[in-house]
Amino acid sequence: MPFIQRFLQFLGIYITGVMTLWGVKYFFGLSDYLVPPPLELLEVAASDGIRDLLAAANTMLVAVAGHFVAVLLATFVAIIGRSSTLAGNLTRMAAFNLQAYPVVAIAPIIFLFLGDGLASRLLIASLICYFPLLLSFIGIFSQPVDEVEHFFKATGRLNISLELKIRTFENLDKLITVIVGSGTTAMVGTIVAEFLAATQGVGYVIRKALYQSNLAKILIALFLIGLFSSIYLSLLEGCGKLVKKRMIGI
Amino acid sequence: MFLRLSKLSYTYPNSDQPIFQDLNWDLEGPGFFSLFGFSGVGKSTLAKIASGDITGYTGHRTTSDSATLLYSHNNERIPGWQTVSEHIAQVTPPQKARLCREIAERFSITANMDRRFARLSMGQKNRVNVLRYILQDFDLLIGDEILANVDEPTRNLILFEIKKLFPDKTFLYISHNALEVVKFSKIIFVLPQTPDGIVTKVLTMPGLDEHAGGETDPRNVERMVFSLLKMAGSGEA
Repeated sequence: MPFIQRFLQFLGIYITGVMTLWGVKYFFGLSDYLVPPPLELLEVAASDGIRDLLAAANTMLVAVAGHFVAVLLATFVAIIGRSSTLAGNLTRMAAFNLQAYPVVAIAPIIFLFLGDGLASRLLIASLICYFPLLLSFIGIFSQPVDEVEHFFKATGRLNISLELKIRTFENLDKLITVIVGSGTTAMVGTIVAEFLAATQGVGYVIRKALYQSNLAKILIALFLIGLFSSIYLSLLEGCGKLVKKRMIGI
Repeated sequence: MFLRLSKLSYTYPNSDQPIFQDLNWDLEGPGFFSLFGFSGVGKSTLAKIASGDITGYTGHRTTSDSATLLYSHNNERIPGWQTVSEHIAQVTPPQKARLCREIAERFSITANMDRRFARLSMGQKNRVNVLRYILQDFDLLIGDEILANVDEPTRNLILFEIKKLFPDKTFLYISHNALEVVKFSKIIFVLPQTPDGIVTKVLTMPGLDEHAGGETDPRNVERMVFSLLKMAGSGEA
């Protein structure tokens, strides 16, 4: 029941947040224009709910694709970066230096070159979750597991593929945690990209609502983001459990 | 098979003082040899230098042409995704499959072959590790505390079996068990404890080289154990 658990946790936080907002509204007598009353929230949900739901689903699909690309790319680069060759050292140095630069800062350049469509959202989502993944993957892949690897090395059987398999297996929990954790970053990256310049997705919905000062719509969008994040992270956790079951056999 | 270390000096990374200085050591097989010494004296380091697992020393290391030297320690594990039988089948040369079954039976690990390594007891893990190593093609196998978690009767049985099955191979057994070392070894190499922690010589002492069925006078064993411990502690041959 990872989805229900995650969704209930999110719902608890969401309801607490909205209740606090309404508490502040009624305590300080804030206007309906600034903080919408409960009824207005329900009206906006009824009128725009389906459209916003589709926008959030669209965001999730882009985040999933971006995350997938980031995991593949990080794996590939970490395999090069794990070695102590010149290419490996350069890759590690580049990764450590580049990750310090905020991707959001270069997002406008991406939009300038690629436009406000799918490609820009996908690229920004990938880049935002790529660097944390890469640093973790390099750490895991470059750390020898001597207790297991020694026999294969001593008998001349250790090749790159076996070495990676051993290190992946020995760090499976860590890898799954990192991938699930970066799923949230992928969602954030996509929403940030949409908020900055895209014309689709729930980030775009929030940007429009901000220009209209429509807090009710923003609150609905936040609920949908939480819903889809819960779905995606639960799916990732489920996949992680399947992989573990297949590899460890328990 | 021979192994020679001449004028060997080695200092651990991030240490100011060498652990070995101008050390000379000759090992000429076949047979069952032991390397004995108290904790921290440098037995594992010397063994790893001998097997080629550690480099960065000064001096010379010479072995017989194309000799295969293997070093094994008691913390080794098989990949967690394999069962014992899957792993053994993967790493055993096909011509040794029958021998593998026989040894597995004698080492009492046949019943555990379908289990994963993590599910085995410490002693069973040691036995599986020894099994896979002795089935490899080697000239010298260095076993660093490889039976540390195995009960004494089973350990004796395994050592007798190894000596019986592989009379043409060379074994260097590292153990803290003075009695076992005295009983089984042809020659015992002793790394003596020194006040400054720098080992400059390897002492030698003949062992009893017992084989299955052999019986030695317990008083003789006791005397040799005492001599060995004295040698390891004081460096006096």
